[in-house]
Amino acid sequence: MLNDILLALYAVATVQNLLIMIAGIWGGVIVGAIPGMTGTMAVTLALPFTFYMDPVPSILLLVALYKGSTYGGSVSAILIKTPGTASAACTALDGYPLAQQGKAGKALNMALYSSVTGDFISNLSLIFFAAPLAVLALRIGPPEFFMLMLFALTTVAGVSGNSLLLGLVSAALGLLLATVGEDMYGSFRFAFTPDMQAGLSIAPVLIGLFALPELIKLVVMRAAKKEEAATLGAQHVTREEFMGSLRSILKGSVIGSFLGAIPGIGPSSAAFFSYGEAQRSSKNGANFGKGELEGIAASESANNGACGATMIPLLALGVPGDVITGVMLGAFMIQGLTPGPLLFQTNIHEVYMLLIGMLVSSVLLFFAGKATMRMFAKVSYIPQTLLTPLVLLLCIFGIYSIASSTFDVAVLLVMGLVGFGMFLLNIPAAPFLIAFILGPMLEENLRRALAISRGDPAVLLSSPITWIFAVLIVFALSFTLRREIRKSKTERQVPQ
Amino acid sequence: MTKPVLRGLIIAAFFALTAFVLVPVFVPRPAFIPGFAPPPDMWPRTVSTIGIGLGLLALFLAFTRPTTAEERIETDGSSQLQMVLRFLELVVVFGLFLGLLPHLGFLLATMLLTLTVVLLTGERQHRLWIVLLSFVAPVLLLLFFNYSLGTQFPKGVLTKPFGF
Repeated sequence: MLNDILLALYAVATVQNLLIMIAGIWGGVIVGAIPGMTGTMAVTLALPFTFYMDPVPSILLLVALYKGSTYGGSVSAILIKTPGTASAACTALDGYPLAQQGKAGKALNMALYSSVTGDFISNLSLIFFAAPLAVLALRIGPPEFFMLMLFALTTVAGVSGNSLLLGLVSAALGLLLATVGEDMYGSFRFAFTPDMQAGLSIAPVLIGLFALPELIKLVVMRAAKKEEAATLGAQHVTREEFMGSLRSILKGSVIGSFLGAIPGIGPSSAAFFSYGEAQRSSKNGANFGKGELEGIAASESANNGACGATMIPLLALGVPGDVITGVMLGAFMIQGLTPGPLLFQTNIHEVYMLLIGMLVSSVLLFFAGKATMRMFAKVSYIPQTLLTPLVLLLCIFGIYSIASSTFDVAVLLVMGLVGFGMFLLNIPAAPFLIAFILGPMLEENLRRALAISRGDPAVLLSSPITWIFAVLIVFALSFTLRREIRKSKTERQVPQ
Repeated sequence: MTKPVLRGLIIAAFFALTAFVLVPVFVPRPAFIPGFAPPPDMWPRTVSTIGIGLGLLALFLAFTRPTTAEERIETDGSSQLQMVLRFLELVVVFGLFLGLLPHLGFLLATMLLTLTVVLLTGERQHRLWIVLLSFVAPVLLLLFFNYSLGTQFPKGVLTKPFGF
């Protein structure tokens, strides 16, 4: 094995491969940072170029784009509260408040360090646990999947905002919106217009909900902060700050690596899970959502941690974990490689080259992130009254370009109004979004489980894994309730 | 009416509307459902029912629990009426943008939208930047998306003779 690894390292360390990875990472960071442009878009657009490349460099390019775009999503999330990707939505919760306090540089640095750490650990897990983790992931059937998603939802609902009740309301709204369009058996639900028959895309909902309310607030309340954000140069993350967040970074990396290995979960859910766990266990939990570096650390380590891990089911079983790895599966096939158990026997040299290349790309991500940070830092100098309309413009062009659909642009604007309404009613947006993303999977697995069990709901508690998740749900709910009751008691005691 | 009471009412009313009006009308049940598969309205109905419960609970808590301080919303000190009017202006602008888009084309419609939104924010100082943002930025973005991604932006019925 060691001989194979050394040979692979030698093969990867060529100027051509390094340049390809640098281009991929850098391109990915820039694409991820532009609202409306996603990692999927970057990987799909790069796919035709891989036709003319050797197998390993072509896959390395796609992986680099994926990693870069996942990190890049955090840049716009922190600077303009517009998550470039859904997985950066949690980063915006603490990143934007920090940017408003003039600590954008600190937030971006913490996002970068956490992303690189998560990515590195994820790649190690890919190397050592690809096969065993993939086997475990395969044991997860519809009931287990449903309980896992439900656990994710209750965790997110509990940690976003100040009230569990309002978090659950937000999640219910997201679940309801996710039902728009065609269901798994071909029925059209809430299809008020023909455009709605295909359902609502994630990008306009995500960006509308997070970015546009800032513009509407500015227009309606005009309470923009006149002072410009401080420069980024002197805002390094101190050793104490990094060490204080290290537990959450490591935990987030493990959560990301584990959840990324389960097909269908992906970086977004991993980020929300990790954020929730960090808020629950951190001594700074009360500051989450107000500008807490540890929140960024938890979210970013998990979403980048999931990136490498999504390759586990792809490489070991030939099952793509998400849309991007689905595109990569296509790239593998084009190159004459068939992902799955046989790949480890017939193309072990290419597998090791890919794994080593992914490790190297983690290091490159660090340098690309540092360089791009300075470029995007200029954003801090633009007055809010010009920046927010610019964001609107970027969003409209970006959203239109995804599917060439004016309906998506309409969804974007309507979701902005919905987001503003939720802000006025103090209903948090994060549970809405994660429920909207997980909703179709949640429903599909529930309906599948009920169909398998002939309508018997007991199937949801039929295996040890479902029981574990059920206990975790009860634990998460009771913990949040206890925290709220304590907080409410403290608030009542303060005036006395 | 206090904010928590209003919030509870809105939540309960929205989910009740969904459960009792929208689901029966807009979620058709197919005549034949294979095997033991739950019908398509099962999930929206379940979520709406839970939503009604949550709304009623919010309402109950609004009446029974002492009101805790809600986060203060920062404003420029304008009256509530002024802010409502600003909001309605923005809604009208969004509506006009979507309505005029097929007639004016994507480029001109976004230019007008950007200019209006900048003015609605109260920005009047950086005039050169307002012009650049409203008229130059949309052209640059259109060229970028058109050349790099091949996106074809819709031309307007009225502006088609001019090429955009």
